[in-house]
Amino acid sequence: MTFSLQPIRVATGFDEEGMMVLDEEQRLVAVLVRLSDENEVAPGQWYLEAGFGPLDGGSHPLFSNLDQAQDWIGQRLEKGR
Amino acid sequence: MHSPFRHEYNSLIRKLESIFTLTDDERQALQNLPMQVAMLKDNQDIVREGDRPSRSCLILSGFACVYKMTIHGKRQIVSFVIAGDIPDLQSLHLKVLDNSVSTLSPCRVGFIPHEVLHDLCTRYPRLAAAFWRETLIDAAIFREWVMNVGQREGATRMAHLLCELLVRLKAMGLVEDHTCDLPITQSEFADALGFTTVHVNRVLKEMRAEGLIVIDGTRLTVPDWERLKQVGEFDPTYLHLENKQAAA
Repeated sequence: MTFSLQPIRVATGFDEEGMMVLDEEQRLVAVLVRLSDENEVAPGQWYLEAGFGPLDGGSHPLFSNLDQAQDWIGQRLEKGR
Repeated sequence: MHSPFRHEYNSLIRKLESIFTLTDDERQALQNLPMQVAMLKDNQDIVREGDRPSRSCLILSGFACVYKMTIHGKRQIVSFVIAGDIPDLQSLHLKVLDNSVSTLSPCRVGFIPHEVLHDLCTRYPRLAAAFWRETLIDAAIFREWVMNVGQREGATRMAHLLCELLVRLKAMGLVEDHTCDLPITQSEFADALGFTTVHVNRVLKEMRAEGLIVIDGTRLTVPDWERLKQVGEFDPTYLHLENKQAAA
């Protein structure tokens, strides 16, 4: 399954930018947020803010970079087919 | 021999007196309760789900929690445990534990044999009623937590939990000038509130920015108690404290 990323600003209340993750039919499957460098838990990491469909549920992992996040989402979407 | 333990036994007496009126005789009986005292490290299980304990544990000092795990290994903390609490008191009558208890900070724990507690309750029926009352209040706290996790959001959910901890700590004399020691990590708050650690961090930051709380290491200060109560929609009735002042 291929999916695409689109930059989006997310109103988390902090200085944080995000990515919308869309599947091949242009359906929103996830929103990733890059946590601010001042974040005390995981500065600068990518956080699965919200997931839909196969990415729905209580799991909100952190990724050290966007590639890692894409790998994980790819695997999940593949499994969910 | 007995004197060094006097103070520790008092944490049980103080706890029961916050919810029940004890007579001198009853106080004396509690004072003389035999228990084995152990110092436990942080993040150490005291009892585990499935255990069949022959004793109950009284927290003499420190912070602990009651928790359950999903089959996928995710932890839900269902209550925080402070000095004076007996988090597995129900094991006196329910033989198999359906939850685990773990220390959060280093804890001094007094293990009281069930036979001693049974004997105490036979000799002092009012103390049996006091222990019953304690487990009923534990149940009221669980009900409030279901409400909190299920229906309150963000800062309200966190503020409610902080209000509860402050009122309970205050009843034990562990709050001074609106400040208390609260060695609970953000990841432990996350497991208790059903948030992710990232979410807990954001909520605490927001609350600090609004001046609702001040955090310095493990010290928590609440500059404006009435405002925190308002944000947390907090009504202390469910804690059923005898001393209304503690809940004010």
